[in-house]
Amino acid sequence: MSKILYAFDDNKNTNYKYNISEDTIIYHFSINASSNVEINLIKSGITLYYYYGNINYDNNTFKIKVNHLKNNTHSELFNHGVNVFNNSLNYYVDGVVLKECSKCICNQENQIINIRNGKSTICPNLLIDNFDVDSNHSAYIGSFRDDILFYMMSRGISRQVAIRLLLYGFLVNGNDDNASKFDKFINEINNI
Amino acid sequence: MMEINNLDVKIKDSEKMILNNFSLKINDGEVHAIMGPNGAGKSTLSKTIMGHYKYEICNGNIIFDGNDVSKLDVSERAKNGIFLCMQDPTVIEGVSNSEFLRTARAECSGEKVNLYSFIKDMETFTKRLSLDNNMLHRSLNFGFSGGEKKKNEILQMLFLKPKFIILDELDSGLDVDSLKIVCENINEYLKENPNVSVLIITHYTRVLEYIRPDYVHVLSNGKIQKTGGYDLALKIEKSGYSMLGNDANE
Repeated sequence: MSKILYAFDDNKNTNYKYNISEDTIIYHFSINASSNVEINLIKSGITLYYYYGNINYDNNTFKIKVNHLKNNTHSELFNHGVNVFNNSLNYYVDGVVLKECSKCICNQENQIINIRNGKSTICPNLLIDNFDVDSNHSAYIGSFRDDILFYMMSRGISRQVAIRLLLYGFLVNGNDDNASKFDKFINEINNI
Repeated sequence: MMEINNLDVKIKDSEKMILNNFSLKINDGEVHAIMGPNGAGKSTLSKTIMGHYKYEICNGNIIFDGNDVSKLDVSERAKNGIFLCMQDPTVIEGVSNSEFLRTARAECSGEKVNLYSFIKDMETFTKRLSLDNNMLHRSLNFGFSGGEKKKNEILQMLFLKPKFIILDELDSGLDVDSLKIVCENINEYLKENPNVSVLIITHYTRVLEYIRPDYVHVLSNGKIQKTGGYDLALKIEKSGYSMLGNDANE
């Protein structure tokens, strides 16, 4: 059973530092805020899942750095943001594996959906100093794909409702039960 | 009734015409099949009827139940009762099948979906299609096999109750047993709804063995070159499109 931690930023910039020594899932929801997150994986064999959902209206930056400090540590980051207006949203996502840490898994998946013409940036960095690491990263910036909207609309769902469904799924990241603890975040999705 | 009149269709932002002066009339309750060589325009036709964003109608119109649907957006066409069973259904992460279906039904009917009747319907349909009921809680088509995706299309069809069904390459990705199950469900639906008409887009006669067409058309160079009955499909399967002359064999 993994330990579950929550973070919620509501229009307030916040710094977080975690020293993780057991399997952990962190749900981080954010409304219009910059955040700086540093995570140290300090015990062998542990796994971290990090889910970040972010609604952005002004110029903001999300920085997260995961340091693999022990052997066999595993991190999976899922960072999803929606940039609503014509402002900038920047993600700096670092996965660090030290030379003395072997057999680590270090993965990250980053996506920002621009609703209008915002300037969004994702810098997915994997700083790997060991030869036996399993590591992947991905980054997508853009709008929801036309083929997805076509499929949904072909079942009678209007464009507006289809986008709302997609936004919810994207920001909640399959974690409905956990996101529902943050009513304000869910309500904000409906206001986008 | 579906009437396609003198349709010229090209790919958007391109001069390439795919359908040229294409016409077809499908009466209520009729099953039509369109066969044709690769690149003949079969999938373009199915997507154009549904209003796909990649295609542009230059001339002609599509009249369904007396209304010109060619100017309507995709969701309005679906609300009018047109359903496209896609060749390669789209994967949508984060949106569950259950949420998707309930939203679609609510949008089509304008009424909130009763949860109890939804659960009962899903129990019935998943059983009929030999689908695992848990698929309803999974993301739409995410991690589904080719067969599960096609069965999910038919589940959506059974639930949304369309009046005009387009089956685009139904047999692709389906093994023989799954094809049989899927076709039996479509036949059952047609039996329960005798006014529903079907347009089958296919390369092979396999699907036509289960869903017998009233008419078979051969599409080539963007227009219908020949029309016949099921026997025409059998002839094509046996001898290829070359038997129809150069026009039908690009």
